[in-house]
Amino acid sequence: MPHQCVKCGKIYPDGSNELLKGCTSCTSRFFFFIKEKDLEESKKITEKLTNEEKQQIEQDVLEIIGIEDDTKPVILDLESIRILQPGKYELDIVELFKGKPLVYRVEEGKYIIDLASTFGSNKKSASN
Amino acid sequence: MIIKLRDFISNIFLRMFQQRRSLKLGIYGPPNAGKTTLANKICQDWLGEEMGPASKVPHETRAIQTKEKIKVKHKRKELTFNLIDTPGIATKIDYEDFLKYKMPQKEAKKRAREATKGVIEAIKWLDGMDAVLVVLDSTLNPYSQVNLTIIGNLAARDIPVLVIANKIDLKKAKIKKVENAFPQYEVVGISAEKGQNIEEFYESLFKLVK
Repeated sequence: MPHQCVKCGKIYPDGSNELLKGCTSCTSRFFFFIKEKDLEESKKITEKLTNEEKQQIEQDVLEIIGIEDDTKPVILDLESIRILQPGKYELDIVELFKGKPLVYRVEEGKYIIDLASTFGSNKKSASN
Repeated sequence: MIIKLRDFISNIFLRMFQQRRSLKLGIYGPPNAGKTTLANKICQDWLGEEMGPASKVPHETRAIQTKEKIKVKHKRKELTFNLIDTPGIATKIDYEDFLKYKMPQKEAKKRAREATKGVIEAIKWLDGMDAVLVVLDSTLNPYSQVNLTIIGNLAARDIPVLVIANKIDLKKAKIKKVENAFPQYEVVGISAEKGQNIEEFYESLFKLVK
């Protein structure tokens, strides 16, 4: 699954070192996690955004998710939440009800599903 | 002396039991269905104070609101619960929708951001509920993705549900349509704002948590 840098739009394949170290073009550590099939659409959306809007999106997401420490890389799962531009959000509530994490953090080379600190654990999963 | 001691011990047990019986009653539904208006009606009736501000602008409630130990009495029965009013669940939140209400753009964007956070919070709290009132606007089509997803997830979690068809004071209200959409649940038509049919609501509430 590819990851797209929120700030400059550069695409990185899954497991890339840059996800940990930051984007080679702009040093951002904030990425969208996207499915192959959504790649083209995602490119179109981010191409239209101004730098200010991208920065605002980054701030918005950190606030929505409740992450205070912004020094660590953040990867947003576009399956559950889609930000078209600041102030315009689309939520996949079916996915959210399943208790799937919205955000994955990359630490020391591995993915950590950040359920406990941001979303609590939804032990039961819905059938739909 | 022995009688006094016995009464003292039984009172302690009674209190412990009552505390454990303090149910968590959640109010869920789409934005602008009247969740906070209903919460305010319940709180006014039994606490003499309101839960929070209600508004015509969608997503007025953007954080979980709770009122603890609400004691409802109805036909010699008594029920104590903690009432949890949740932000409206939506699939799309667009700040431009708030501009129609003459809200400045900056404020509208902030509202959209907070409302999005509120949806996530509301969903997160669902697992802790003992029973849920799903408040729907009876003037709107009940077969929406939000309504079906909320009720489907409550069913999957075995959480007792009472469907409230709100705004029955309006001409376009269609309680029958809500009943047809969710035949497996009891549906009570009320007007939380006007206090219409509220006695029947309390009756159903007791049945819900019996």
